Amino acid sequence: MRDGMRDRDSSLNNPNTINSPFRQKRNQPRKRTNPLKQSRLIDYLDPKFLGRFTNDQGKILPRRITGVTALQQRRLTRAIKYARHLALLPFVAQDTR
Amino acid sequence: MSIRRLYESTYIVNAVLEDAEIDSIVDRLVEFIGEHGAQILEMNKWGRRRLAYPIKKKYNGYYVYLVFEAPAEAIPQLERFYDLDENIMRHLTVQLDPKLREFRKVRAEAQAARAAQMAEAAKGEQFDVAS
Repeated sequence: MRDGMRDRDSSLNNPNTINSPFRQKRNQPRKRTNPLKQSRLIDYLDPKFLGRFTNDQGKILPRRITGVTALQQRRLTRAIKYARHLALLPFVAQDTR
Repeated sequence: MSIRRLYESTYIVNAVLEDAEIDSIVDRLVEFIGEHGAQILEMNKWGRRRLAYPIKKKYNGYYVYLVFEAPAEAIPQLERFYDLDENIMRHLTVQLDPKLREFRKVRAEAQAARAAQMAEAAKGEQFDVAS
């Protein structure tokens, strides 16, 4: 019991926890720039372009990584799925496994 | 009168077939949608392309893309035609947004211009080497 208490205290004293300025800095959201201009249309027949929004396994990247708007992400997702149906993009990359 | 809309359709023909057979499939399809009141505005044979993943154990496909205007009732019939033809491996028909069409045109022109520029630059370099 006592040891546990002491451990918690020491964790509070750790410079990397709650009140440290360092920690705060780390928690600040990174500023993202939107990779798509507002007017950029999403073409499902352009595998090179769509490929930028998938990882090397062929998975669609989440919005927190791509940094696009919600509307754009929905359109991207649809476009990638269309492209997969036409075998322009892989469902699963062959090399991984 | 039924509503006419702008559609685009892409399909993949079995690339194992001879060119003549592929052409005959394409012609038959063009005729078929013509009979159902469609007007073809654009047709583009992309030719043989490697598929991103094998379909029916085939690694290549012959892509055909077309833009057409048709009454809405023609689309289910077109889909059925696609499904019945064994040599068509995949197909996708969607309504075409005129904005997207415009955007593709602009992009294609930009690409052509860039290619021309590159060719020009390559020519210039050759000159330099020669002199």
